[in-house]
Amino acid sequence: MIQLLANWILSFDILSGMGNSVAWGLSLFIVAALIFVFVAANAIVLVYIERKVSAFMQVRLGPMRVGKFGTLQTVADALKLLQKEDIIPKMADKVLFIIGPWVILVASVVTFAAIPFSDTLLAANMNIGLFYVVSISSIVVLGIVMAGWASNNKWSLYGAMRSAAQIISYEIPVGITLIAVVAVVGSLNLQTMIQAQAGTGNLFHWIPIPLPNWFIFHSPFLFIAAFVYLIGATAEINRTPFDIPESESELVAGFMTEFSGLRWALFFLSEYANATLVALLVSIIFLGGWQSPFADYEGAQIGFSVITLVAIMWTLFVRAKTGRLSVYPLGLSLVITIAAWLFPGFAIWMASPGIFWMLMKAGTIIFLLMWFRWTFPRLRVDQLMYVSWKVILPLSLINLMGVAIWMWLTGEIQF
Amino acid sequence: MSYFSNISSAITTLVDGMKVTMGYFVRPREHVTLQYPDEVWPIPTRNIGVGEIESYNTIRSKLVVDFEDCIGCKACERACPVNCINIETFKAGPEEDIGTTKNDTKIKLRVTSFTIDMSECMFCDLCTHPCPENCIHMTPDYQFISNDNVRLDVTPEERWRDRDHLIYQFSKVLPIERAQRQAEADKMAEAKAAAMEAKKAAAEKAAAAKAEQAAREAEQAQAAAATPEEPVASTAPVITDTPAAPAEPAPMDIPTLESAPEPEPVDKIEIPLETITTPEIPEVQPVSTETAAEPETSTEPGTSIEPEDSSKGETENG
Repeated sequence: MIQLLANWILSFDILSGMGNSVAWGLSLFIVAALIFVFVAANAIVLVYIERKVSAFMQVRLGPMRVGKFGTLQTVADALKLLQKEDIIPKMADKVLFIIGPWVILVASVVTFAAIPFSDTLLAANMNIGLFYVVSISSIVVLGIVMAGWASNNKWSLYGAMRSAAQIISYEIPVGITLIAVVAVVGSLNLQTMIQAQAGTGNLFHWIPIPLPNWFIFHSPFLFIAAFVYLIGATAEINRTPFDIPESESELVAGFMTEFSGLRWALFFLSEYANATLVALLVSIIFLGGWQSPFADYEGAQIGFSVITLVAIMWTLFVRAKTGRLSVYPLGLSLVITIAAWLFPGFAIWMASPGIFWMLMKAGTIIFLLMWFRWTFPRLRVDQLMYVSWKVILPLSLINLMGVAIWMWLTGEIQF
Repeated sequence: MSYFSNISSAITTLVDGMKVTMGYFVRPREHVTLQYPDEVWPIPTRNIGVGEIESYNTIRSKLVVDFEDCIGCKACERACPVNCINIETFKAGPEEDIGTTKNDTKIKLRVTSFTIDMSECMFCDLCTHPCPENCIHMTPDYQFISNDNVRLDVTPEERWRDRDHLIYQFSKVLPIERAQRQAEADKMAEAKAAAMEAKKAAAEKAAAAKAEQAAREAEQAQAAAATPEEPVASTAPVITDTPAAPAEPAPMDIPTLESAPEPEPVDKIEIPLETITTPEIPEVQPVSTETAAEPETSTEPGTSIEPEDSSKGETENG
């Protein structure tokens, strides 16, 4: 993408005077700025959505007064945070206190460089993309420990130590789960990984249900691996139910206790950047990234028809069970299906790969994370370690073995 | 085996929880939030059998005075069991025309301050009945929101006290005018006091003359070997305990001279009246009855004594 941008800059007559290296540097800067803007805007939107989702799940309304339906609430919050006084505690370690939030933010923003949003929308097409993302996102824990230690506060230190213990524990099952996927693809390149999931095929290779070739439908083991990865990643980004590093009811705000204003906003920003990153990774690794779920436009038409049928059945089921008539999912799917049948162009657009599908999948995963957050209670520290070492780690090891055997059985690899 | 059953129960319970939250999420418009400034709860109504009078059939929430109709009679202040109403009035001059109420009653007292402390008010509605002009009444306004400065009489020193009190000032009289009225009233009171002093001095002279006459009469009637003098002498040491008394020699003069320090004990009576009895009262009462000048000197405290008697009667009625 950077080379494309540089070529595009050089294609103008006025700008062609500048050398190739200058254009390259300029496009590097532009791409970096784009990524940062994406992360910041994404955080603002996600905070609003999260507040609304939590409100609806708790039979509340959420923000309603700033803008229509409170849409400008998070913008107002961000402006307020920027104006707040920058407080550094007297006994804090000033250098680490200042560096900490930036380390966290940089570590979580830089990982977006390797995330492919579409076949061309990709900052750096690395052959070790997955490795890069996993390793860089682990630096976050360093910033958290920095911030917790520098605050000179028992809550902060507790939070930081818990975070370190938690992230190190969950790195292992997450890594092993990812190795299972890498074994299937044979590459660490994220773009290659997405391209390997193109087209449609049978569910689990043998069951005759036509589904996209996503890795979540590759084998029962990878199906479980998707959930294992989701759980482990939720723990890695310190989201509820694994939010013991900043558990409000025990450690005021964990490692963020002493932070305020802009520095606290950086923590918040990186938190949502991490959540987005996890959602993007899940959709890249298991859900086909920017690939469309439909092979061609006929597939899109049939697929939407099936979705509408499912929606009708679900509506009837809900009506029979609770007596309520919820028409929104049915209406939406019906409208899309009719549009797909009437306008082939729409069906073709739906069947073509692109950033739309990437964001749709990532949004679904983010909603799932929010759903987790507002449903599950927080785990105790020992429960957290139990889940990590005694449940998820064995499961991921079994998955790795199982995937290898599965591939041997289906003939994907020969010895 | 408990390991696997543990895991499976964890998964099933988590799925159950997710079902619950998703159920709430997809169910639209069943929220319980009341968007307060835009929506308010309906005010409960009731019928206590008084009739169709609106103020009776709603909740009692805020005490309000139609200040234009207030004549400053202090009937509500006396009726209030918790003393949350405070009224300050000054007599209008003879030529001053303050106005009339909606019942065409001429207002004779200038009400400079009419405060209601809503933090003390217990919403008993007792103050509304004695009002002759029906200008004080309970309203169903439970929100206590106001756009104008209702706490005109709060001085900076009272700020802290004010945090515990919710004082509503209904008088539109500005503090400056109030101070002027106070000064005028003080002046008038001083003039009155001076006049009273003069009157008193005259009375003293008359009393002294009377005493001299009595002494003469006593001298003349010495032969009668005065038995009535002994009880007077027995009361004398009790009264001479007060500092103002000792200069006066004649025991007969003491009652009249006591009239100068007397307002203080009368003031004290105000407070003990709530605790019903004090030992001083029987001693003072004969003194006040003996002196003719008493009722005039104690006009102001006297008015403050009367209300309490009447308030007692009214609370009993209510």
